[in-house]
Amino acid sequence: MAHRRLSSYGTLGAVTRPATPGSSGLPAPSGRIQRPAWRARAVRALAVGILVGQAALLIRGYWDPHAHFGFQPFPESSTWRADIVRVTADGRRISIDEPWPGGYDWDRLVRWRVLQHPERRKHAYSSLDATVDFLDEALDWVAEHTPADTETVRLEARVEGRRNTRGPVLIVLRSDDRDEAR
Amino acid sequence: MKAPTPTAAVDAHWTFDDVFDRPASIRSMAILRIALGPAVLAHLAPFLVDTARGITYDEHFSMPWWGFLPEVPGWVQVVLVWGAAVSAVAMSLGWRTRVTSALTFVGIAGNLFLSQTHFRHNRAFLLFLVGGVVLSNAGRVLSLDALRRRRAGLDATDDQATVWPMWTLRALVSSVYLASGFSKLIDPDWASGLVLWDRAVRFQDLVRDRLPSFLAEPVIDVVTTRWVHAVSSPVAVAMELFIGVGLWFGRTRLTAVWVAILFHLSIELSASVEVFSFAAIVALVIWATPSTRDRIVTVDDPRWIRRLDWLARFDVRVAPGADLAVVDRDGSVHTGRSARWLVASRLPLTFFFVAPLRRWWR
Repeated sequence: MAHRRLSSYGTLGAVTRPATPGSSGLPAPSGRIQRPAWRARAVRALAVGILVGQAALLIRGYWDPHAHFGFQPFPESSTWRADIVRVTADGRRISIDEPWPGGYDWDRLVRWRVLQHPERRKHAYSSLDATVDFLDEALDWVAEHTPADTETVRLEARVEGRRNTRGPVLIVLRSDDRDEAR
Repeated sequence: MKAPTPTAAVDAHWTFDDVFDRPASIRSMAILRIALGPAVLAHLAPFLVDTARGITYDEHFSMPWWGFLPEVPGWVQVVLVWGAAVSAVAMSLGWRTRVTSALTFVGIAGNLFLSQTHFRHNRAFLLFLVGGVVLSNAGRVLSLDALRRRRAGLDATDDQATVWPMWTLRALVSSVYLASGFSKLIDPDWASGLVLWDRAVRFQDLVRDRLPSFLAEPVIDVVTTRWVHAVSSPVAVAMELFIGVGLWFGRTRLTAVWVAILFHLSIELSASVEVFSFAAIVALVIWATPSTRDRIVTVDDPRWIRRLDWLARFDVRVAPGADLAVVDRDGSVHTGRSARWLVASRLPLTFFFVAPLRRWWR
């Protein structure tokens, strides 16, 4: 019982109280939390580990286009637009705005406002590099998830970006080749 | 005027071992826990709506965090977000707090790590806060758990617990301000105002949507003026850096908290940051000194102080017919207007409005 009451004073810890007959059971103001040595070390290691991990993520943010857990909000005012085409087995380049075998639709496939309506110039989500990376991944995802389309070999995007009003920067992205059209 | 210190003197000095071994009031973490429930629900709302319609993350573009892991089925997301929503309510009420806060954390973390497209800085920040609640004993007070303990005849008034999770959370929260400020400081486009100005021009409709028309147009005229941002951008950077540093020191803490509230309100007005403004303002409670009822207030009618003193700053004593008087932590006695200012500047709801006035009039 005594152990239960002590351990209720905190996560991974308990408060020691001087023996005060008739006391109400509250910890003495000078009470210290006592843990077995291994738990004391574990708690310190956990706290230090969390902070070191966060520091590492903050530093990593300067190399990661997405700056995950890097806490660099609103890093740019960049913009982008893209012409995305389906490249067919016979070499045609068909805009994704045109009818798509299987009835697919780019905006419904990505279902994320960041990448919808790529034909319109829009704000680059997070940063231009992050948006381009997302678009690159989206081309691969769409190429893999349109099984009813048997004519498209790959998707290709010509991206025109402006980094903080400067540019344009021209980038060509291609999805992986699709087996369905071979 | 001096009087004896009202309670045990608040020792502002904490050693590294104190952080882990010295019990202190967990009340601010309990307040944070209560407020995080609605924040988690607001954060999850779009996912709840989608999953209720039968739309899960795997039915549209998603981007795994680790390519070597197999794709998780869509029903897992349903379990994660709905489980987190239910447990967030329970966490907020303080029902089986240890379990429900952990379930909330697992739910929102799991959903976040289903796809990189789910990541937002404000969601990472929310995850930190919930993580802090999980690690702390935040259900100890202001909770159904405390009520249950009281009914079982156990002590439910003691708010003393280990506070290393609160200190860890302080470091994380501070690092968020410093990281954000530093990244902008070293970016010439940001520091010169180019980024803010260009964003303001592009998103001026947000101001039009959020302010009454008679106010919107003058505000837009100002925020789309280039030189305004040449001034405001360095100020914004300085605010973030000041908040990140100032929160750590007793002499600057209240100013930093006030600046942080102003900072977040201005962000809420000018950008779409989901639950960040609310979560960040609420998270400021963790910077309250972790001791309670260490100022004595003598008052005729105690009801309004007790209702508003969420952080239990005051030991409220009733003296019929008495004028308001406060014995501060250092033993100094305040009466009349000085006492009113002091009380109002230490209550969460009135702090933002009264704190600068108190400093001005003092």
